[in-house]
Amino acid sequence: MQLSTEARKTLEKSFRINKTGDAERRDIEDMISQMPDDRVLMYKNVDSNPIGDLPRYGLDIRIQHMLTFVCFLALAFTGLPIHYSDHFWAVPMNDFVGGVEISRIVHRVLGAVFVFSMFYHLYTVVVGTIVKIVKKKFEVQRTVIPLFKDLRDFKDDLLYFAGKRTQRPEMDKFMYKHKIHYFAAAFGNIVMGVSGSAFLFPDLWVMILPVEIASGFQELMRLSHPHEALLALLVIAFWHWYNVHLSPGRFPMQWTFLTGKMMREYQLEEHFLEYLRNLVELPSEREYLRNWLKTTKLRDIGKVGNSAEKLDIA
Amino acid sequence: MQVRFSKFMLRCLILLVTATTAPSLWAFIDEEGCLLCHKYPKMGRITEDGQRRSYYVMPHVFNKTVHRNVPCRDCHNYIKELPHKEVTTGVTCDTECHSVKNPATGKNFSHKPIVDVYEKSAHGREKIAEGLDADMPYCVTCHTNPLYNPSEEKPPKRITDRCVVCHEEPGFVDSWYDHTSRRVREVKRNSAEIVAMCSACHSDEKLIDRHLAAAEKKGEPLGRKFQNAIESYDKSFHGKVVSYGYNESANCLDCHANYENYYMSVHDIRPSRDPQSSVSAENRYKTCKRCHVYANEDYVAIDPHSTSDPVDNAFRHYAEIIYNWVGYVVITVFLGLALFETIGRRRDGVNWMIRDGSSWRRKSRRGRDRLV
Repeated sequence: MQLSTEARKTLEKSFRINKTGDAERRDIEDMISQMPDDRVLMYKNVDSNPIGDLPRYGLDIRIQHMLTFVCFLALAFTGLPIHYSDHFWAVPMNDFVGGVEISRIVHRVLGAVFVFSMFYHLYTVVVGTIVKIVKKKFEVQRTVIPLFKDLRDFKDDLLYFAGKRTQRPEMDKFMYKHKIHYFAAAFGNIVMGVSGSAFLFPDLWVMILPVEIASGFQELMRLSHPHEALLALLVIAFWHWYNVHLSPGRFPMQWTFLTGKMMREYQLEEHFLEYLRNLVELPSEREYLRNWLKTTKLRDIGKVGNSAEKLDIA
Repeated sequence: MQVRFSKFMLRCLILLVTATTAPSLWAFIDEEGCLLCHKYPKMGRITEDGQRRSYYVMPHVFNKTVHRNVPCRDCHNYIKELPHKEVTTGVTCDTECHSVKNPATGKNFSHKPIVDVYEKSAHGREKIAEGLDADMPYCVTCHTNPLYNPSEEKPPKRITDRCVVCHEEPGFVDSWYDHTSRRVREVKRNSAEIVAMCSACHSDEKLIDRHLAAAEKKGEPLGRKFQNAIESYDKSFHGKVVSYGYNESANCLDCHANYENYYMSVHDIRPSRDPQSSVSAENRYKTCKRCHVYANEDYVAIDPHSTSDPVDNAFRHYAEIIYNWVGYVVITVFLGLALFETIGRRRDGVNWMIRDGSSWRRKSRRGRDRLV
């Protein structure tokens, strides 16, 4: 496989950050050169473990995700029957969660846990970033920070789905969908936290804010809390769950949120640049790839192993 | 002889009727003989405007009401003879009882003091009222006997055993205990019942329109929230949790009555423009402060009856429209993306489920299939 300029840059940076030795580097370059030029053939022909092959999320992120999603669902189940109290499903649902005397307490406690989870995440991200910067291992491309490349990837991905391109774009650890989702969730969490506090402490918000905007703020929060909750629930139900659990290749469940690992075929398909880093960082993945290159049936039709002459190692 | 026989027969008849119906009739003491006629269930008439009016008194029910010890003519004091003349005014609640004394003053008991307060309130009216005044609640609109007639628990024997040593009359101790302990236990409507009571009039669109039109004609506009007071309350957080039976959240009277003298104040509800009102511009934040302990003078800026009506609150109206559109667009775009991606990947041969290490076992329309 002849790497694109972007992939080459990513690989070189990974070599540098990981202080990869010459022998290892040559080994990796050799394997990459033997990989099929058509990445589609590669991710269609590798073998993947349904519970994951390659590391993606650490324990902190998994705990934060668990806290957030358990709290979010419980908050939705305890909050929505109150807001939609005149709907036919609201009363039985409210009874199911213990009645308003219990659900209002549960809702507030979970709200506090939810906010804690946000700060826990913020702490993890900030401290983790500082540590990486100090250790000179920080790569902005490996974060959820939106880049212009994401717009290009989005356009190219749509063209691929429309049949206008032969390959999906070479995307990084976090592709455009993750970034949209992450910032939508971050925005939603802040809105829910602030509007929830405006419900709980309206008197304190009036003390803080100038009187001219206190009323408008409260009205906005009264609208935001249920609207954002419903929107988040629908986005999670129809988009997030679909993408991670229900879409083709992920059904019935992607185990990443529990195991922290991602399937190899998925990494190659949607996060090829991260896969290159995996090759640098994970000897086990190099071992797999080496064996795969030797045994894959693609070899029989001349799709792998015929590119050694393309090696361009300094 | 014939006359004496008739009197004898009449006495026998009265005795017979009384004896056969005694268990139900004598549930309360009918010394005035009103039940001779009012015991008949079908006793009533159809009024000139076609309404059915029943004059039937159910002794076994009346016996359980708070007025059970009051003789009929203490309230129906216009009745001077039997059969009585046509009733024109009916009972007014400020009538003075002749049979029940105020134990503290020894004077005849009367609801007159509270009726005088009520008549000066926003709801005040005379018993017989016409026009817009007829829309106002009279005492019995709110004070419905069944509500104040819960099935009482039997008083604790360890207490009543002391009383009956002197008060030997059957039932006296139980009645006295019920009467006094009910006040201590504060038997009153719960929040949802209070909201339902107020809603009976304040959500009546025809009534609201009548009063709005009259106020406009008079040049004295009613409060900004008059026409949507109940609707806006029902949609507020207060209203929603109260509708679930939660009693700690504000109901109508919690704000519109003065809690420093609650039972007097609920009869003295005033419009918000009246400085004496608990929700007047001067008093509102103090009322809010009862629950929202950090409320200051600026707290009145927050609307407890907010609506998305463009006239009432244009900011909220347009904000809600934007929110709704954002919601529709976001969901549509995301669903569209998911669908588009699914079609694209399915066309390229992806399976729904991973099997034997790969999700790409279908035949792709673009070629490049997995080699098996």
